[in-house]
Amino acid sequence: MLFRVDVAAAEPLADQIAAQVRGGILRGDLAPGDRLPAARELADVLDVNLHTVLRAYAKVRDEELIELRRGRGAVVRGDADAARLRLVELARQFVGEARRQGLGDAEMLAMVKEAQP
Amino acid sequence: MNRPRTLAAIVLIWAPLLVTVVTWMMWSDRLPARMATHWSGTGPADGYSSARVFWGAMLALGIVAGLAAIGSALRRGGAVGLRYLLGVTGALAGGVAGIWVATATATLADPADARLGWRLLWFVAGVAWGAVVVLVAGPAPATTPPPVPAVTPLDLGPTERAAYSTTLRAPLIIAVTFVAAVAIAVVAAAGPTALWPVVAVPVVALLLFGQVRVTADRRGLRLVAGLLGIPFKTIPLHHIAAVEVAEIDPLEWGGWGYRVTPGRSALVLRRGPGLVLHQTDGRRFAVTLNDPQTPAGLLTALLSRAG
Repeated sequence: MLFRVDVAAAEPLADQIAAQVRGGILRGDLAPGDRLPAARELADVLDVNLHTVLRAYAKVRDEELIELRRGRGAVVRGDADAARLRLVELARQFVGEARRQGLGDAEMLAMVKEAQP
Repeated sequence: MNRPRTLAAIVLIWAPLLVTVVTWMMWSDRLPARMATHWSGTGPADGYSSARVFWGAMLALGIVAGLAAIGSALRRGGAVGLRYLLGVTGALAGGVAGIWVATATATLADPADARLGWRLLWFVAGVAWGAVVVLVAGPAPATTPPPVPAVTPLDLGPTERAAYSTTLRAPLIIAVTFVAAVAIAVVAAAGPTALWPVVAVPVVALLLFGQVRVTADRRGLRLVAGLLGIPFKTIPLHHIAAVEVAEIDPLEWGGWGYRVTPGRSALVLRRGPGLVLHQTDGRRFAVTLNDPQTPAGLLTALLSRAG
């Protein structure tokens, strides 16, 4: 899969890398059991700080998409669910847009309930 | 193929034969019917044969070398290996002419007690003729790069950085290799214990090629043995002349697995799409990938960025 980051973008580099991993799982470029590049190597070739990559991997680990094991590196979890991930990604966009428009949590929940057929 | 230079090289390969023919015409009436034809070291001879038969054998070998040179020039077009095939046939043609001249002059100098002595240098000079042929043949295809279908480069902004990484697995090759290892082990256990070290061959192949990580980034292309973490093929970015996406036919690249043939090498795990790198030295490297467009686009973008 392709990792690409833009050092001039407003989005933090770690978030960009985390988004690439998510996108890879979503598109099927990364299948359960696939190993991500070693953090040190990825940091080297993208010319970013090692801790940036580690932060990105930790973020995706916290989202229960990958496992981080000493010695084995970062591996896509067997239960990493592309369908659920797609929903999470949509929710993330929804929340981001709602915040920009100044909506609070209660209003957002109300909108989600309204959206039911 | 650089035609004039290849033709000149072939003429040079036939030239020693002319020496063999002309010297026979000059010396044949002075040579004894049986002449010394074998020496151990530079002292007296220890083997004799018919002058005519010996000369005929050297002539025949020279003709074989000359025909082999023409054959390889016709068959191997512009391949990188042609220069060295011409060199080898040139060394053979020169070498047999050298043996003839050294042997005949030794006999002419003293037919009763022929000694090779310094005349061994005729043979050395003859073999060195191969180097002259290599020089004349010149570097082959670097001057005529083959047309490469253009790859759409990745739209990489000046502030963007990108890296590609994927893992290759070949379940069928893994299974076949595993079966081979077990079969050899069973045979070895049944009797010929000398076979035990042979079991290591499929096991090593499995460790090296069972899982391969392919990365393309600002360093260039790398293939790393996934189970051992050893990089076994790296092509730095500045050694890449062009990138191509192609259908890889295992028969065309020498078979399945890691293949090395003159002028090119490849990691072929199946028939199908793959990435072909044209290196600046004229060699080619191919690897089968599910999505060769992505690394091809990335490498092309990185190449144009590097300028």
